[in-house]
Amino acid sequence: MDIVVVTEGQDLLSRVAQMMENVIHQGHGSLALVFLIGIIFGGIIQYTRVDKFEKIAGFAMLKDTIVPKMLFLTVGLTSIGLYFMIKVGWAHYHIKPIIWQGLIIGGILFGIAMAILGKCPGTGPVSIAEGRIDVLVGAIGGLIGGLVFTLYYDDFFKPLMGDSLGKLTLLDFFKGHEDLVILIFGIVVTLIAILIPKVELFDDADLSKLPDEARPDKK
Amino acid sequence: MTNRLPWWMGGILLSGLLLLTFSIYGADRPIGASTYVPYFAGVIFDLDPDKYSYLKEIKNAGSWEGVMLFGSLVGGFVTSIFITKSFRLSLIPTAWKKYKNGSIISRLIWSFIAGFIMIIGARLAGGCTSGHFMSGMSQLAISSMIFGTVVMISLLITGRYFYNTKKDK
Repeated sequence: MDIVVVTEGQDLLSRVAQMMENVIHQGHGSLALVFLIGIIFGGIIQYTRVDKFEKIAGFAMLKDTIVPKMLFLTVGLTSIGLYFMIKVGWAHYHIKPIIWQGLIIGGILFGIAMAILGKCPGTGPVSIAEGRIDVLVGAIGGLIGGLVFTLYYDDFFKPLMGDSLGKLTLLDFFKGHEDLVILIFGIVVTLIAILIPKVELFDDADLSKLPDEARPDKK
Repeated sequence: MTNRLPWWMGGILLSGLLLLTFSIYGADRPIGASTYVPYFAGVIFDLDPDKYSYLKEIKNAGSWEGVMLFGSLVGGFVTSIFITKSFRLSLIPTAWKKYKNGSIISRLIWSFIAGFIMIIGARLAGGCTSGHFMSGMSQLAISSMIFGTVVMISLLITGRYFYNTKKDK
């Protein structure tokens, strides 16, 4: 099925329509599937409550370890699954390039911001959806950041990022032993997730609406 | 039905979603969540997409993530109302009051600054928690491991010195 929508205007609505048209024509899943991926993503993030300030800023203060436990488990399981999916031709790698300056300067800024805001770009929108107005203000800051980045990309940010050293993976260092390396990596990362001690920082304002027996902090 | 999913269930579900997204029967690409921000900035501030090289570069990834973002707003909203019952309007997190200060103005100003720095940082590095940490490390990408390590260190140092963490003792 080929959908052709005429979307040439410059107003906000036509540009949102153009966004959807871009998705339809780029061959990375149908519009409905991408939307569904978003719904499930938002649902998982919300249901596990990792979008809470107490989870990410709490981890920065080492008072909560749910986020690293969940992240490492996701990486451990996915790395093994993805590798074998690629082997049978069901998926491809999409590696980001090694740009030393960009990664280090960007990583430092990102870490500082994550500790202060208590969100990241994936969990932030979910907490806006559950009514966190302070995060909405953060998102406006983010949009201004995106604007500045776009405006000064050629003159300032691109040179700051430095040159790409290619798209290496850990497997490139162990040619011939890929299967073994992926299994060790996946298992070690999964073990890290399990072995990180579970510490939780609860938010009473979040849990007070629940009956006592449903509250994870009263078990 | 439980009101909160345990971390291991969240990890398993997220991993399933990632594999679906990566697969050729799904979207044949990783999950990412920071390219949509400059894309939306382009839309909202009415920048001509043909004039700015960065907007050309992120046209596809930005719109893909933009649609996914709409989905995650819906998913987050519905879950917060019907399952976790955590929807409420608020201006300041409980832990901010406890470990930083009780001022709403201070929280809003810091939120704005942090949001600004966050997107600059993510775009410099070419990804965020989703694109680099989750999707990238799952592919054993060296770039993502470098980013993940730097973010972890920077996050913990900031957490240690930005907040008054001794307060509950």
